[in-house]
Amino acid sequence: MKPIPRRKFIQSSALAGGALLFLPVIKACKSPGGQLSGNYFLKEFGIDETLCRKLLANALSKGGDFADLYFEYTVSNYLGLEDGKVNQSYGDISLGVGIRTVKGDQIGYGFTQDLTEESMLSAASTAATISDMSAASVGSSFTNLETGNYYPVDPEFNGIPGESKLPILQSVNEKCFNLSAEIIKVNAGFSSTAKRILIVTSDGIVAEDIIPSGYLYASVVAERNGKREQSSWNLGGTRDLSFYNDAVIDEITSKSVNSALTLFDAKQPPAGEMPVVLGPGVTGVLLHEAIGHGMEADFNRKNTSTYSTMLGKKVAEPFVNIIDDGTNMNLAGSINVDDEGTPGQKTILVENGILTSYLHDKISAKYYGVEPTGNGRRQDFQNYPIPRMRNTYMTGGDATPEDVIKEAGNGIYVENVSNGQVKIGEGDFAFYVSQGRMIENGKLTSPIKDVNIMGNGPKMLANITMAADDLELYHGGAGQCGKNGQGVPVSFGLPTCLVKSLTVGGTQQKGDRS
Amino acid sequence: MKNRKEQQLNLQELADWVIARTLKAGANDCKVSLSKRRLVEINYRDRKPEVIKEATTKNLYLEVFINNRFAAQSTPDYRQSTLEGFINGVVESAKIMEEDPFRTLPDPKYYEGRSTVDLQLIDPDYNQMTPDDRHQMVKTVEESCLEKGGDKVIAVEAGEYDATNEEFVKSSNGFEGSSQTTIYQIGASMTAQDEGDRRPEGYNYVSCRYRSDLPSLEEVGTVAAERTLDLMGGKKIATTKIPVILENRGAARVLSGLLNPMSAGSIQQKRSFLSDKKGESIGSKLLTLTDDPFIPRGLGSLLYDGDGFPARKRDLFTEGVVNEFLVDWYYSRKLGWEPTSGSISNIIIPPGTRSVDEIIKDLGRCMLITDYIGGNSNSTTGDFSVGIIGKLYEKGQFVQNVAEMNIADNHLKFWNKLVEVANDPWIYSQAIFPGLVIDDVVVAGI
Repeated sequence: MKPIPRRKFIQSSALAGGALLFLPVIKACKSPGGQLSGNYFLKEFGIDETLCRKLLANALSKGGDFADLYFEYTVSNYLGLEDGKVNQSYGDISLGVGIRTVKGDQIGYGFTQDLTEESMLSAASTAATISDMSAASVGSSFTNLETGNYYPVDPEFNGIPGESKLPILQSVNEKCFNLSAEIIKVNAGFSSTAKRILIVTSDGIVAEDIIPSGYLYASVVAERNGKREQSSWNLGGTRDLSFYNDAVIDEITSKSVNSALTLFDAKQPPAGEMPVVLGPGVTGVLLHEAIGHGMEADFNRKNTSTYSTMLGKKVAEPFVNIIDDGTNMNLAGSINVDDEGTPGQKTILVENGILTSYLHDKISAKYYGVEPTGNGRRQDFQNYPIPRMRNTYMTGGDATPEDVIKEAGNGIYVENVSNGQVKIGEGDFAFYVSQGRMIENGKLTSPIKDVNIMGNGPKMLANITMAADDLELYHGGAGQCGKNGQGVPVSFGLPTCLVKSLTVGGTQQKGDRS
Repeated sequence: MKNRKEQQLNLQELADWVIARTLKAGANDCKVSLSKRRLVEINYRDRKPEVIKEATTKNLYLEVFINNRFAAQSTPDYRQSTLEGFINGVVESAKIMEEDPFRTLPDPKYYEGRSTVDLQLIDPDYNQMTPDDRHQMVKTVEESCLEKGGDKVIAVEAGEYDATNEEFVKSSNGFEGSSQTTIYQIGASMTAQDEGDRRPEGYNYVSCRYRSDLPSLEEVGTVAAERTLDLMGGKKIATTKIPVILENRGAARVLSGLLNPMSAGSIQQKRSFLSDKKGESIGSKLLTLTDDPFIPRGLGSLLYDGDGFPARKRDLFTEGVVNEFLVDWYYSRKLGWEPTSGSISNIIIPPGTRSVDEIIKDLGRCMLITDYIGGNSNSTTGDFSVGIIGKLYEKGQFVQNVAEMNIADNHLKFWNKLVEVANDPWIYSQAIFPGLVIDDVVVAGI
């Protein structure tokens, strides 16, 4: 069910997550038998090969092309600081298995939080209802999947302890206030998650992974002459405690505070079409919305994407190369293995201006007769996997950032964005500029803020006329991409680049005075 | 809902056990919320099931207070053998927090006075629905959409979701509450072939507490197709300043920018442009916004809020004047104010007398906004900007569909330009808003 059939990215600093830090005492009712992969789920929950075979056989008891099991045990915790005190601790445990039966492009799905054989068999029976043929067989042997490791972490990692977070949050608070007397409020939060998954497929693949993730953020309010402005910044990704050092705290606090102070001088730009220069880094949200979602293969196999007929065609200038990559070290969207047992990998979407590939899960890969690209992702065991982006970025060009701004002439420069959304079929997209600058006569001038920018994906792609050599990847950890009610962590990147024309949603018609 | 009383008794016993164990582990106070959900989801595409999903979930959420230190955690595991460790973990988490004098359970006097009215939130016929019924419902919606969409259809996806939810909440200082609800959601989305590579996607989904309150399934599918066909040929026009009508079902997207700054948390944290506006007019006389928790079968109806305070009907805005902030227990203590309730239930704008069609005839050049894309609202300053999709009219006559455009304004100016309210409240949501007519809005395009 998808009440709003849209896909969107939300850069969130929401107070979510929790604070549970003890190892589970939870045990399943099954005795250990055959060996599986890294053995965490065997050791803690008694999930062995015999049981998996039984569940898969039940899922395929009425036929189907394949079935898979997705076991998950996730511990999340969040500590928050407000009014100078670390006074909020929230935690969550997610535990269960999702069982999927696939027949062509049809999906049967059951899940349960009870890792008892009876409950799991019941979930498998639910999945089996998608088919009505004779039983299909489960592979004769299981093989542990070989993958890269894009977020090395201690095998015993179970989240970042609250005690370690307290001094970091207090340091964020102190540094924000020390940076400016105009700062009147500081909120800070530190979220961390340890997600363990075990994937077992009917064609004999076994993959186990532990994914560390989280973010540290600061959000400040500044006051000047009775006027208030707010700004925030976060850093994180698939990382453990070792990442959150003084340099990270300095970057988060200085970006938050400096942005808020800059906004006192900001104004709304004129409304209408104009050249837009995207600064490097977080502005890659534009690629995510304008291009990335439309390249997810489920939309294309259903003919609902505006990119459905463009594979192999020229969609951009020859200097444009766009990549969706699960292999960047420690970025939020990095994955060793996707959520249906395909290794994390790098997928070139646009090469020298030509559209070369969609983002595939197993269902779409079979439909198109290609290999899966490792984009089958899901929020958790309660959801089945669908094609999703990982880290999406455009490679750099050969201009300098100054050249790009000069070429724009008169328009706007985007420094920070907070969220975006796309309509897949039309290709129309929007992203919200929380901070930027006017470009007048080829130079950056007054700050701007709080403006939505609209465009059309294919048109925008064709209208990228210049790119600088300063590709920057976004190292935030709070960003979530939403699709069909499922959120997954993603990242992106962009060099400074010029889009010839986009619609800027200001409050004033051109020629009006602000 | 078989054995509901028995299930509730089990939840009560579990809650009592958790509270006793939590206090024994060192907490001064605690509150436990237990919930269970049974869900079924069926989606169709190309006249066959695309997804069949069914499951039961449960959750235990425990809030712990120890000498003004606070922690909260949730777990899906109800087994007492594992809950011992869970409870100890929450207590240990609370102990490392910094002391905050405002972190307590509410004064029990605020729990008093809860209504006992039957909100009719459980469909008594829920268990009568069979798997075949569900499939037939979705097939009917899909077929109607396909038929209305005709040769413009590229794809239709139809879906049905239904669930039962059960909750039991108890605190160590005397609060106890429970609720049971059912919900049905059904609808379809359609993708159509437009000019060039444009494939507009429209949709129509509705939600109800009772199956019998759903509109006709044929209508659900037909409207999904009509709303998609209404997107055909959508183009942006030159930037202009004209009256706009926020269609009933989407008006909450813009109005939500007024609600976040109404929360005591935003006010205490100095992130609210409304913090000094109580008792002042910030909108036209037509801006009356009522929070009504007692609507029978309402999607937002409830008897108690997140703090355990009794639900009550109240005006948040009365004829443009800020009447009451959303003040929960924690921030009431921080601000030194009386709590009011930090939760909203069903929010209502009283309908006017004329239909949108009648209003459009009198507006000259105007735009009916039927959907939104992207956008955001700054709760500190009141500035907002959001992408729009809609239809342009001139002297009551349809001119063209519009897409890829944007509206932007400041809430303190925008709601003063509310000049008329239509007579068509959207009832399939907890935001029961009619169409809203706003004058002189800059619509950005070419």
